[in-house]
Amino acid sequence: MRPLLSLSHYNCVQARVSGSVVNNAVTAVAGRTSSTLARNKLLDSLLRISTRSAAIVVLVMLTGVILSLVDGALPALKTFGFSFIHTQSWNPVTEKFGAAAPVYGTIVTSLIAMLIGVPISIGIAIFITELCPPRLKRPISTAIELLAGIPSIIYGIWGLFVLAPLLQKYVQPLLIGAFENVPVLSSLFAGPPYGIGILTASLILSIMVLPFITSITRDVFETVPPMLKESAYGLGCTTWEVVRHVVLPFTKTGVIGGVMLGLGRALGETMAVTFVIGNAHRISHSLLAPGTTISASIANEFTEADGELYTSSLIALGLILFVITFIVLAGARLLLLRMKRAEGH
Amino acid sequence: MQTRPNVELTKTVLTEPVAETLQEKVSVRNLNFYYGDYKALKSISLPLYDRKVTAFIGPSGCGKSTLLRILNRMYDLYPGQRAEGEVLLDGKNILDPKTDLNLLRARIGMVFQKPTPFPMSIYDNIAFGIRLYEKVPKSEMNDRVEDALKRTALWDEVKDKLHASGLGLSGGQQQRLCIARSVAVRPQVLLLDEPTSALDPISTAKIEELIYQLKVDYTIAIVTHNMQQAARAADFSAFMYLGELIEFGTTDQVFTKPRESRTEDYITGRFG
Repeated sequence: MRPLLSLSHYNCVQARVSGSVVNNAVTAVAGRTSSTLARNKLLDSLLRISTRSAAIVVLVMLTGVILSLVDGALPALKTFGFSFIHTQSWNPVTEKFGAAAPVYGTIVTSLIAMLIGVPISIGIAIFITELCPPRLKRPISTAIELLAGIPSIIYGIWGLFVLAPLLQKYVQPLLIGAFENVPVLSSLFAGPPYGIGILTASLILSIMVLPFITSITRDVFETVPPMLKESAYGLGCTTWEVVRHVVLPFTKTGVIGGVMLGLGRALGETMAVTFVIGNAHRISHSLLAPGTTISASIANEFTEADGELYTSSLIALGLILFVITFIVLAGARLLLLRMKRAEGH
Repeated sequence: MQTRPNVELTKTVLTEPVAETLQEKVSVRNLNFYYGDYKALKSISLPLYDRKVTAFIGPSGCGKSTLLRILNRMYDLYPGQRAEGEVLLDGKNILDPKTDLNLLRARIGMVFQKPTPFPMSIYDNIAFGIRLYEKVPKSEMNDRVEDALKRTALWDEVKDKLHASGLGLSGGQQQRLCIARSVAVRPQVLLLDEPTSALDPISTAKIEELIYQLKVDYTIAIVTHNMQQAARAADFSAFMYLGELIEFGTTDQVFTKPRESRTEDYITGRFG
């Protein structure tokens, strides 16, 4: 108490002694304000510069990746020209390389994975958001998230040592037998049951994309206003009719986004696919036959690629994968744009 | 203690000299409702008379929306909510677990606080509900859609853009579209849950006018926070407070000579 008093007393004395104390105080405040302003300005421009450069780094890296891919692929593209894409042979001995088999494998495995994975994912999401008893909701959601957390190498060895033998022993003979006399399907499910092959890789992929598509669709399903769903129920809709006519149309952009994310992952997945696809550079009618994908080929052969043309062909494969992914993303954007326009806003 | 005045009131309403005979379309009898362990409605008994408008009034949280949502068993969508007692629709208890919910909800239409057009065209918003339960040829469907839109005074505003998205309409138009959608499936009872709370006065007036016309064909229950709206639109009013039905009677009686002091306090704005 005492020192405070004396301090104020001192100030008073000071004020009385120097008549200009008020003026001083004003300039002091003004000085502090201008220095704060200057510092704020500096901080703000620092923030602007750092965030902008972070954004620019992405562009630079992307350009760099594209340029080095093109540069690395140039020898192969020069040698084989456009026929690189549709040539099936992949012969390191005669140095004749073509991308047809891995491109085919990549697209087919991803498509089948989507065909299996998307309906199941959306089904799970519908169950969790619309039908699930509350006490089951959390365990199921957690299980889905755990599925996403499993490293792809684990899927690979599980696929090779558990899933492939099971398929070989029980499922594939059944498929071959069942479709033996059906015109188109008999050639799709033909040949000896190897266990490993395009179909097995597709199955593994469908399991791997499942958690991504599920969690995204579940999140967007939860954004549907309860009142909107109640209005549909109020008209006498069944749960399926509500989902089909209200929930899905309301969330279609989000659902398509989720599917595209899953497709992106399926296209690029390497390790698990390498384990179970058989790594054969040929296009077979049968889904049971071994095949290869772009990323599986690259991962398998990079260490043994001697000679410029071999390495360059692998890099050219990478470039093609890049282009495929780009086309898929652009296609998704276009689709969404067209849907928006169709809605009239 | 809570049920006694209700029963008595129902009787007095019936013995009042009314020119036409009143028929109970819906009878709520001794209804209790629970959100989990919380008892939200306490022994509610009241009638909804055929082709009359009944307003549920009362302060927020008094249970009027809850009561409305029992009438089409909307609460069934949510686990942990349950009702006890009886709700008779034409003498049949709809709380019976064997009741077909989809059919019930097709017979009892509902309109919500906010407009909820479906993400489809104006035409389909209305045709959707009809298609659920009826197989209607194209020309008849066109007539049904036109009829529903005319009934809700929306036809002239939208007839040139039937295939544009329902989401592109104004709030008031959207709400009339939602009413048209409910009317199109030809329900017997129409439940309106604060249908004008998100609308401007002009749209509100249109909706009230609409309610007046719709009661020729439908039994209507409306939840409202707006005293004037209840006084203007409703033939009967039920005042609820803290989950209890305090007073039920003709709107004239409830608003001019309320029997209960709590009703009078609420209507005159002393609380709520």
